[in-house]
Amino acid sequence: MPTSEYLLAVDIGGTFTDIVAFDPQSREIWVEKLLTSYPDPSAAVLDGVRRLLEAQGISPDAIRYVTHGTTLITNTLIERTGAKTALLTTAGFRDALEIGNEGRYDMYDLALVKPAPLVERRLRFDVPERILADGRILQELASDALAGICAQLQAEDIEALAICFLHAYTNPAHELAAHQLLKARLPDVFISVSHQVAPGMREYPRTSTTVANAYVQPITGRYLARVHEGLRCNGVEAPLNIMLSSGGTTTVDAARAFPVRLVESGPAGGALAGLYWGKQLGDSDVLAFDMGGTTAKAVLTRDGDLTVSNHSEVAHVHRFKRGSGLPLMVPMIEMIEIGAGGGSIAHLNRLGLPGVGPQSAGSHPGPAAYARGGVEPTVTDADLLLGYLNPEYFAGGDLPLDLDLARCAYADLAATLDLSVERLAWGVHQLVNENMAAAARVHAAERGLELRRYTMVATGGAGPVHACGVAGGLGIRRIIIPPLAGVGSAFGFLTAPIAFDFTRSYVAKLNELDLSELNKILRALEKEGRGIVEGAGVPADDISAQLSIDMRYVGQGYEVRVPFPMGKLAERHIASMQSAFEAEYRRFYGQLADGVPIEAVNWRVLIAGPAPQIETLSLESATSASDSPLACRPVRFDADSPVRQTPVFRRDQLSEAWSAAGPVIIEEAASTTVVLPGWTAQTAAGGCLLLLRGDQR
Amino acid sequence: MIDPVTLEVIWSRLISVVDEQAAALIHSSFTTVVREAGDLSAGVFDRQGNMIAQSVTGTPGHINTMANCVRKYIVPRHPIDSLQPGDTLITNDPWEASGHLFDLTIVSPVFYRGRGVAWFASTCHAVDIGGATMGGDARSLYEEGLAIPLMKLFKAGAVNQELIEIIRANVRVPDQVIGDIYAQQVGNQVGARKLIEMLDEYALPDIEALSAQILDRTERAVRAAISALPDGAYQDEIAIDGFDQPLKIACALTIAGDELRVDYEGSSPQVDRGINVVLNYTHAYTTYTLMAALAPGIPNNEGAFRPIHVRAPLGSILNCRRPAPVSARHLIGHFVSQPLLTALARVIPEQVIANGSAGLWNTMMDGLDAAGEEFAYVFFSAGGMGAAHDRDGLSATAFPSGITGVPVEAIETAAPLLMRRRELRPDSGGAGRFRGGLGQVMELEIITGINANHSCMYDRTGNAAAGLLGGKPGATGEVALSDGGRPHPKSHYVLKPGQAVTLKLPGGGGFAPPYLREPQRVLHDARQGYVSLAAAERDYGVVIDVETMTIDIEATNARRKEMEAGT
Repeated sequence: MPTSEYLLAVDIGGTFTDIVAFDPQSREIWVEKLLTSYPDPSAAVLDGVRRLLEAQGISPDAIRYVTHGTTLITNTLIERTGAKTALLTTAGFRDALEIGNEGRYDMYDLALVKPAPLVERRLRFDVPERILADGRILQELASDALAGICAQLQAEDIEALAICFLHAYTNPAHELAAHQLLKARLPDVFISVSHQVAPGMREYPRTSTTVANAYVQPITGRYLARVHEGLRCNGVEAPLNIMLSSGGTTTVDAARAFPVRLVESGPAGGALAGLYWGKQLGDSDVLAFDMGGTTAKAVLTRDGDLTVSNHSEVAHVHRFKRGSGLPLMVPMIEMIEIGAGGGSIAHLNRLGLPGVGPQSAGSHPGPAAYARGGVEPTVTDADLLLGYLNPEYFAGGDLPLDLDLARCAYADLAATLDLSVERLAWGVHQLVNENMAAAARVHAAERGLELRRYTMVATGGAGPVHACGVAGGLGIRRIIIPPLAGVGSAFGFLTAPIAFDFTRSYVAKLNELDLSELNKILRALEKEGRGIVEGAGVPADDISAQLSIDMRYVGQGYEVRVPFPMGKLAERHIASMQSAFEAEYRRFYGQLADGVPIEAVNWRVLIAGPAPQIETLSLESATSASDSPLACRPVRFDADSPVRQTPVFRRDQLSEAWSAAGPVIIEEAASTTVVLPGWTAQTAAGGCLLLLRGDQR
Repeated sequence: MIDPVTLEVIWSRLISVVDEQAAALIHSSFTTVVREAGDLSAGVFDRQGNMIAQSVTGTPGHINTMANCVRKYIVPRHPIDSLQPGDTLITNDPWEASGHLFDLTIVSPVFYRGRGVAWFASTCHAVDIGGATMGGDARSLYEEGLAIPLMKLFKAGAVNQELIEIIRANVRVPDQVIGDIYAQQVGNQVGARKLIEMLDEYALPDIEALSAQILDRTERAVRAAISALPDGAYQDEIAIDGFDQPLKIACALTIAGDELRVDYEGSSPQVDRGINVVLNYTHAYTTYTLMAALAPGIPNNEGAFRPIHVRAPLGSILNCRRPAPVSARHLIGHFVSQPLLTALARVIPEQVIANGSAGLWNTMMDGLDAAGEEFAYVFFSAGGMGAAHDRDGLSATAFPSGITGVPVEAIETAAPLLMRRRELRPDSGGAGRFRGGLGQVMELEIITGINANHSCMYDRTGNAAAGLLGGKPGATGEVALSDGGRPHPKSHYVLKPGQAVTLKLPGGGGFAPPYLREPQRVLHDARQGYVSLAAAERDYGVVIDVETMTIDIEATNARRKEMEAGT
């Protein structure tokens, strides 16, 4: 018997596949990073796992479970490389997918392009049937009409089919019947059914979600089977858990049934990691801020937890324009993404003023200083010109930066604006900081959150370079720079509980709820969820069930999600449902609509195992702890004052008791932490750096 | 003089302050009109009332009317130095603000170190304002609800309780209306707080220098865009259905150097129904359309309006006299975009789109539900947009309005209605080298078992959306009952149980002659069912073999030659 049980996490990103192994007993952690393999990403996963296990001498049967997240689904939707998919709807409604919400996402763009539906019109079939808003059947399903549709689906070689009938979320009978009938005749076709994939009102987002699910189902199924089998062949018999965009994980079978729930699994891992590091240092109000080459992402906790919403989009026509993507109605951690990264390009806007992004030089050709053919001035070039980056130690020295090329790239723009290159570089740095801060401020204002109380957890290659600047613009006074920045998402996966949620619509005024019917629904949901979570190896006693109810005043269009104790509902619970709703409503809207009846719309049951408890990591301590700076270099921190000689430290050489007052620069292979004047830096628990503004310690 | 980098940093910050104002307003709003349909605008103004920045939410009818209202009406009457901290002003005057009584404009001055430095304003559509409900039936303004002349809503932080009581006593849903008034105040206060933080952070005394430079740069950019156009006068006019009889909107566009003049002389006189448009609203949709066509990347602020001059004869449908009824002014106002785009097409055909359905189709049903309780439900739907020089028009998409539609499931959940069908409407897009967007077809029934009242607000049933530069018009709209009846498209009638009403929404116009459309695109449209085989041959000259669904090249060439020759 192995003496220890390891946890393994695997994250496939667009460029890299990251693997992390953790030993809960010794609290040691090991990391393997390799290039993502195309066209079959499972090759790199299996290769990396094998390498890591061999290098650390871990026996494959000593692994307790493997948690896996992937961008495969998102990429399939963006690149439109999914299955040939058809759609079956209620007669007269096959165009819901194309009519959408009838709006324009950019008021001033007369050449606006909407996302093309994933199913072309000639593959959208409809069948006579009709269910009313209250679930009553108005017209029976015309089963005989399905035979003709079957023949057409076969003739077209359809691989996947989405079924979405009107009001199926209140009564799934017809969807179930159609599913059963078609499954029998088309055993090889993957079929997704709307009341299971996205059980909620609003036919456009529900159809869009169901179609997206069908579209990615064959490719996801094949991929997950390869990973699962591959791990087994390598002796890893432990359960494989799949990361969801909601921050929970699920079984391979559930992931294959609902692959659309995996779309933002990588960023979800990043958010979990941010929450973990915040809590490690005693902070529960956390702004997780990640800045990479092309985008910056931010996630805000609320009451110490991540917030999950059912409204999101994927595969945008314009990546950073809300409304230009395909709507998805699945649980997803709320996050902001804006086009601001190291590769973001500085340009002149139509007012003759400098702007930054969202266009990006990405990693190919990348910033001018990469000397890979890029000539446009980028944020990384500005950071280099300001002295924040060390040209000899970028990416640990693997990617030397060329200062002259950066200067060259900025020369024209600086001349046009009649500014020195350094002055412009400072402006670009400030501007990108302001863009990120603005996005976070508006996100917080939309939710009524006060950012000043928050602690920022900064990750990504460019995150720690810009952290102080962005925090300053938000009134944030505490920043954590966690270790393992290069594999943040994979590390976050380790902290994810096995959790899956189920939603059923059951619309009724609170005083008209049919409690016996409702209890039946809730029991069924709980049973289904427990089955999945137990299937993932969680002991029955460790499983918890949480209920939340989406409620609103009758006549309103959107609901408020209200947590409510799970258990058998009785008459006496109605009043507490009302007061729970009112408390949540008041918190969100400020005041109540007294006298207006309240109705419940969706019933959501979250079935979860315990979150893995990851104690403070024991990281390899500095081999040659040295609290004196490696060097000093001139760095610019202001528009007009002269450059300052700034001490430079190497992060892996800092002792546990190190601290210093800014300006200070701390370098590591994955990033560079810039501590501005007015801030202090110190080493903290678990290998973190803690930056504090002003005189607080 | 602020250097350009610092200017852009502070300017970006100011935009985020306005976005926070809007977010706070929406967050605390009580109504779905504001929260979901986004029927609001929010903006920041300098001491003189020049709008510097607006939030990214909003509809054109609100933003640009609010800008004029603050600068031309409110600030001259209440200069910022005559006010004190904690004051807030309110009005819903249709002529001075946004064209009907429903829209409340609420304006708060911001004081910094004892001196007035800026204004925050917002305009929101109130759910109810008393009087007749929304629609064009009123014969004068006095029937349309409560008028609130410009007055203080807050005096030094204390609410004007008398006004609140008057509003409460006049509207059907006082909690919601008052709730949203407070939400507007909350938005203004959040904006003020964030602006003061910004002034502190950047050590600025006020935003005058920032405003001067931003407005100046914006004005120069818009002037440069206008200068790029050849001087000249360009005209167009369209006929629209009107209420009882067709109306004309005539538009003359004059470009002279870096200035642009739009004159609606020759448009129909005002009418005695609530579809009249005030000049401020005409101005708003005119500047919006011009900005979208000429200068989409340039911020929308006072500087952008300076080189643009808008005139409409007093007493016309686009510049009505008090106390004309104006409640449903959007029914006409949205159409000013149409002749304007056609006139612009003579100069910049590649930057405009052909005419489209333009007006939203507003459906209102009311009556008693199965339980005998009163219900009333209204929803908006969109027809097709016009095509552009390089792409087909968008189907079932609202333009120039900025609203979004309502899902069938939401309609049926909220009201005792049954939508029998809701599909794109084949062959409704105007033929052209690029096809107009398709309208949609809806079939509605009442399921209460008793009669209901259906109020129609539908346009383009008599007058189609014209094509551009040889493109063909889109299909006109139709309203028909299953028993053969033809309801008036702008009135009400009784819809009986078992009777279905079919709404066929108009399509957008095409761009350039249809015989120039790539035959493969026509084939594609036919395969997808956007265009019928018959229309492919008749309108596009593309002959398709039904059996093989391939193009008969010879027959197509022959047919297209005839079309080109005009035979």
